[in-house]
Amino acid sequence: MSTYSFLIRRVLQALAVVLLVTVVVFCLLHALPGGPARGILGPQATASQIAAFNHEQGLDKPLPVQYLYFLNQLVHGDLGMSYTLNEPVSQLITERLPKTLLLTVLSAVIGLLFAVPLGVWQAVRRNKPADYVITTLSFIAYSTPVYFLGLILVLVFSQVLPWFPAQAPQGNSVADILAQPQGLVLPVVAGAATMVAVFSRYMRSATLENLTEDYVRTARAGGTRPRAILTRHVFRNSLTPVVAMLGYYVPVLFGGALVVEQLFNYPGMGLLFWTAAQSSDYPVLLGCVLVISIATVTGTLLADILQRVIDPRVKAGRS
Amino acid sequence: MSAVRRPAAPVAGEHILDLDDLGVEFTTETGTVRAVRGVSLHVAPGETLALVGESGSGKSTVALAAMGLLSGNARATGRAVVDGTDIVGADEERLSGLRGSTVSMVFQEPATALDPLSRVGKQIAEVIRNHRRISAADAAERAVELLRRVGIPEPEQRARSYPFQLSGGQRQRVVIAMAIANEPALLIADEPTTALDVTVQAEILDLLRRLAAETGTGVLLVTHNMGVVADFADRVAVMYQGALVETGSVEDVLLRPSHDYTKRLLSAVPRLSVAEADGPGERPAPEPDAAAAGEPAVELKDVSVVFGRGKHAVHALKGVSFAVHPGETLGLVGESGSGKSTASRVALGLIGPTAGSVTLFGADLAATRARARRALRAGIGVVLQDPVASLDPRMTVGECVAEPLRVHRRRLSRREREALVADVLDRVRLPREMARRAPRELSGGQRQRVSLARALVLEPRLLVADEPTSALDVSVQEAVLEVIRELQEELGFACLFVSHDLAVVQQFARRVVVMRAGRAEEQGLTSATLLHPETDYTRRLLAAVPVPDPVVQRGRRAERLATLAAGRTEEQG
Repeated sequence: MSTYSFLIRRVLQALAVVLLVTVVVFCLLHALPGGPARGILGPQATASQIAAFNHEQGLDKPLPVQYLYFLNQLVHGDLGMSYTLNEPVSQLITERLPKTLLLTVLSAVIGLLFAVPLGVWQAVRRNKPADYVITTLSFIAYSTPVYFLGLILVLVFSQVLPWFPAQAPQGNSVADILAQPQGLVLPVVAGAATMVAVFSRYMRSATLENLTEDYVRTARAGGTRPRAILTRHVFRNSLTPVVAMLGYYVPVLFGGALVVEQLFNYPGMGLLFWTAAQSSDYPVLLGCVLVISIATVTGTLLADILQRVIDPRVKAGRS
Repeated sequence: MSAVRRPAAPVAGEHILDLDDLGVEFTTETGTVRAVRGVSLHVAPGETLALVGESGSGKSTVALAAMGLLSGNARATGRAVVDGTDIVGADEERLSGLRGSTVSMVFQEPATALDPLSRVGKQIAEVIRNHRRISAADAAERAVELLRRVGIPEPEQRARSYPFQLSGGQRQRVVIAMAIANEPALLIADEPTTALDVTVQAEILDLLRRLAAETGTGVLLVTHNMGVVADFADRVAVMYQGALVETGSVEDVLLRPSHDYTKRLLSAVPRLSVAEADGPGERPAPEPDAAAAGEPAVELKDVSVVFGRGKHAVHALKGVSFAVHPGETLGLVGESGSGKSTASRVALGLIGPTAGSVTLFGADLAATRARARRALRAGIGVVLQDPVASLDPRMTVGECVAEPLRVHRRRLSRREREALVADVLDRVRLPREMARRAPRELSGGQRQRVSLARALVLEPRLLVADEPTSALDVSVQEAVLEVIRELQEELGFACLFVSHDLAVVQQFARRVVVMRAGRAEEQGLTSATLLHPETDYTRRLLAAVPVPDPVVQRGRRAERLATLAAGRTEEQG
């Protein structure tokens, strides 16, 4: 399959998935008890007030009609108005998304920069003390909830040792936030910790598996030195499964951002989602979920493309 | 034929490989295993020593020890001297300097021997640059030359291919190109042709022989195939349970073996009978076909199978017809990709034909309903190639054998089932107590007998055996085939026997179908077709099979090469 037709097919698939997500989310949100009117107007609202609100917002129309109405607006970039913040959802999201992307991408990149070499190193030193120590630490990091880890980080590196601020940088733009990098340290570390734990494990097992492959023996039989075998052959081969996992990891990253942003009061999508969920702000919730699903689909798409670059067999349609 | 050989007294410097009292121990969870004990042998420059034996004899371990490539839990003792350097105890840096330059290796499995993500030219160039200070561009150029030398067409383009873009034979040529890149003094080939088709095997052996002769390279050839030994080796060393039992010239060992084990081993090797002079005129008149008169157990009529659609469609079978009658064995032979396994699956009703008809026990499969078809299938037993993969490791042997009864004879009580299982275990000559054991506790031959018991427990009218013995040693193969033959006489089932091994089919099957690229190239009585083939293809196939007699094989090889050369001049002229 040519790269061109592959891209078209994958993008169409991605669009279909996103559309499906909007349907599912739309149905789920409307299945929640109370409905948006109760959320906006509060518990004291009378039945007639609620009916009037529902009529005004078009919430008394049949669900499919509401959905089509929503889709039509979506195509025009209109995600509706937030019930509680009185701002267009699209504006809220364009304001917050870059900041969340900054946090997640930074966490992911830094996490991988540690995870990949760590995994390879563990594989090479398999079943030696260093491997056991890192494995134990990985499992601890993996099983510690992000909010708990964040609290510990704040306690140690902000309260006991006053090295970093406990509050994330505030500001409306990415530039504002980058102006105060020391405030980013703890949120990024909290976001990257699980990433390091998970991906060092993936990398370790992928490397171990590849070290036993026949081609390693062939390379040794040709006089290639162990270090060169690792860097030239094993590393690339081990990376392919890890890259595939990376695509699926995007929603986890966003989930992590939800907790991290709440914990450090970081003004991103996670915080927006959190507050919207608490006030049944349907348009905002739907907008956030849509953005996250697009990000997930884009993530897997990028991972697929990256795999095609690394592994020629994928391009030829066999693996 | 040179009967006079150099005396075996090891003289340092004269031999390129000298093993002296080599031992290898593996430390495992269950204790120490001595895989190799007191092996002493040598290889002189320009000669080929074949190291033969059955699985577990330690022959591959010896080869790996000579390369210093033993796994981490292995410990070598004694001496393994390659060109003056003792490999045992040498450090990794020293070994890296030797490997690929003084001594190199060709492996069994060309499918996995190359890095799937690197271009083959680059992998060859890497071996060159490991040992020589030349630029990347020069190394790449050398790599192309090497590809040409090992007979890869369009080497410039092929150098840029990834391994998955090459056929198995081509990949093995690439591995050989890597091995000869720095003109080693010693080449170790561990089952270099076992994973290949016979015609490709013949080409690869020709190539190795030519390269070794050109450069005076000594070859240590590890193989279980006595035909390959007869074709290639000057001397033979026979291993049994980790020790050498016999060493001598290829004529002595293969024609006049002195050790009992060697005699047993050689007598178990299926031999392809060959006609003294080939000619269609000598074909005997077909004997009256008594069995063919009755209704066939399974019959394929003009069956075609197409996988996929459009330009990606694969025509796996093109108008294949054959029938298997009760009490007879039909051999289905052909090279990989010829469609023999597809044809057997069509006979089983696992693959529906795209065109043509399949008649099973007199019923047209296309016209039967699912329930009736299920009942028909209860009349078929299946034995597959891999005795490890085809038994569920979580079941006991008894449960494995009883499974078809649970599916097709649901009314049986537990006691009745157990009685039937015990009965069928008797038939395949396994002790009844084995029913309680797990498949992993059994040897390969025993497992294959369990598969056979499972296939026979419903007293099938048709047995489909797809390469049932190709994963087994020759002595075990002989025993398993013997059991099938006896049971067939007793129970009278029809047998569809799929195999790549022409010698086995010649001994085992009454009639044979030769498959090629999805077509039945030719079929007939085995005694006629495999002795006096009518088509060029079958003739070529038969000519490529090495026979385990060095004298006969030398003649066959010369004949085959002459035919090839004649074909080539004809093409050019």
